[in-house]
Amino acid sequence: MIREVAADLALGLAVVVVLGSATGVLVMRGAYRKLHFVTPVALVAPVLVVLAVFIRSGLDENTGESLLALIFLLISGPYLTHATIGAIRARERRGENGPEESR
Amino acid sequence: MTGFVLAAIVMLAAVVPCSVVLVRGKVMEAVVAYEVISSIAVMVLILLAQGFQRPALFELPVLLAVLLLGSGLVFVRILERWL
Repeated sequence: MIREVAADLALGLAVVVVLGSATGVLVMRGAYRKLHFVTPVALVAPVLVVLAVFIRSGLDENTGESLLALIFLLISGPYLTHATIGAIRARERRGENGPEESR
Repeated sequence: MTGFVLAAIVMLAAVVPCSVVLVRGKVMEAVVAYEVISSIAVMVLILLAQGFQRPALFELPVLLAVLLLGSGLVFVRILERWL
């Protein structure tokens, strides 16, 4: 019973993080500001989801594969964010982004 | 319906605002929305595999997480250098 509640709590937190980030991506103006909301979706929410799977299933094959996906997400998230910032700056230098897009 | 399936459905609803940005936003804003949608897709696949108790389906999110890095970098590098 306690395990189910804890798993549902982690899932609820993950859903709140994802919904909040999606709203932030929609509402914020400019790619730089929207980029702030990639990190919670790419890092925080997957940790909570894998935690929920671990709580519900224990240490088994499903948890292991979820953990593998989490590791790839943890590696790719910051790297992609950094590369995206670089691309925005490069496009700004070439004059392809107006100031209203990037700020 | 388990909590995992319910969470997957709600997370899929979060794709809608990102899709609006993807369709209506400028190029780099669309790339940011694409990255968010990709991360959500990985989590949804994990949640559905766990919710429906299909261990074989846990390979899909691993594969998508690997492809997320490659595809995202291809998008970003092409937009940075050529488009």
